[in-house]
Amino acid sequence: MSVLRNSVVRAVTLNIVSLAVFLVLWQAGAAIVNSPFFPPPTEIVGAFARLASVGDTQGISLYAHSWASLYRVLVGFAAGVLFGVPLGLLMGLYPGVYAATRAIVEPFRFIPPIAWIPLAIIFFSGLTRFAFLIFIGAFFPVFTAALVGVRRVEPLHRKVALVHGASRGYILAHIVVPTVLPDILGGMRVAMGAAWLTIVAAELAGGTPEGLGRLMLNYAELLKIPEIIVGMIIIGAIGFVLNELLLLAERYLFRWRWQVTL
Amino acid sequence: MSVVSVDISHRYGELRVHQGVKFEVRANEFLCIAGPSGCGKTTLLDILAGMLKPSEGEVRIDGSAADPKRHQISFVFQEPSTLPWLTVRDNVAVGLRVKKRPEAEIAAAVAEILDVVGLRGYEGYYPHQISGGMKQRVAIARAFATRADLILMDEPFVSLDQPTRERMQQEVLEIWQKHRRTIIFVTHNLEEAVFLGDRVLILSAKPATIVADIAIDLPRPRDMLSAQFTELRRRCLLMLHEQHAQSSGARSNH
Repeated sequence: MSVLRNSVVRAVTLNIVSLAVFLVLWQAGAAIVNSPFFPPPTEIVGAFARLASVGDTQGISLYAHSWASLYRVLVGFAAGVLFGVPLGLLMGLYPGVYAATRAIVEPFRFIPPIAWIPLAIIFFSGLTRFAFLIFIGAFFPVFTAALVGVRRVEPLHRKVALVHGASRGYILAHIVVPTVLPDILGGMRVAMGAAWLTIVAAELAGGTPEGLGRLMLNYAELLKIPEIIVGMIIIGAIGFVLNELLLLAERYLFRWRWQVTL
Repeated sequence: MSVVSVDISHRYGELRVHQGVKFEVRANEFLCIAGPSGCGKTTLLDILAGMLKPSEGEVRIDGSAADPKRHQISFVFQEPSTLPWLTVRDNVAVGLRVKKRPEAEIAAAVAEILDVVGLRGYEGYYPHQISGGMKQRVAIARAFATRADLILMDEPFVSLDQPTRERMQQEVLEIWQKHRRTIIFVTHNLEEAVFLGDRVLILSAKPATIVADIAIDLPRPRDMLSAQFTELRRRCLLMLHEQHAQSSGARSNH
């Protein structure tokens, strides 16, 4: 256990050092170039402080922008998982359904969420528009993970339950779901990434005044680079935190897979 | 715990797998079945477990057709069949959970059987944390945890190393002597069959029938080096060799 803890401490230390080196190089590079188009980290911090305390040109705070984006992502992501998991399981358990609808399902998978923006602009507004686009982005990774995961169910594990007289429902809940869950969680991490990429594109395309994409677009029109970079950093940071949270959930749920062997 | 009577024939399309396989197992009897490879033993076990309906005839447990939902049937598989996402305790409880027994009863039954198979202290471990022999012990504990009418064992020790295998054979006899159950044990290893069984049935090659029913009336614990043991093993071996010769003869005709 202490070996594990040491390796965590080591990883955190190394990451802090590399981040510090990166910032120093950035600051030095900015000092050498000395142009408003290459702001140093110190200016980014200033822009961050202004956006956080005063807000943007319309007085909307950085917190409001971040929360607006995060909220849309969470709603769309939840919808994607809610539909993707059961549909993936259904098609995995009944390969006939999937085989019969492949020509519909598969092409849809290759239409990127961004390609849905024009339709979304026509049919939806506000939260629904963003949630719909995120849903498109989040649905397929989860759906595919569940679909493929079902094939990983060991016939022997099914037989263990079957020989004791288990019903179809019991096998689904106690054999299929535990087998597929690691795949689904992996799919959820991919879906979260896709959702977060989609939200920025969707907000850049217009709509409400809040949202990190909107914020960046506003400052792009004013040619103010530090504020744009603040938006980028926050997008990266929130995505990172969401991913780490899902990883923690995976570690906890699947301790039967990763726990140190005797 | 129950009397099992079998009288089945089975075919896959044109392929006749079993042709009038007929035998009875007495209550609490330890019956071993041996046969040449390709005698359809996996199919026979699926039929005995009530998971596959034979083309003709049926398996009856205490007079009624074998049904996993009605009867307590346990199965110890050849491959490790522990469910990796469950702890040792929950793996052993699977049969009782499927049958929706009260949790208090499950806890008591699981604790008791874990004691018998020597896994006390390992209740909270996951399968990947324990050895292959221990995993098979978990599967055996799972089979005995229910008040099984019938326990089927499909070469459960074949993947274990020789010393572990011998110890497990000894253990399964001890468990069976403490918790009497009706057992059908399938194996290719005649020494194992004669060591464990009250009776050994020899199956023929496809279409399989029973060609010998040999009572092993040796007192336990059995001495594998004794003259009687060797003689019984030789009798089984002769019957089996005859079947092997026939099945390879049949194959070379194709």
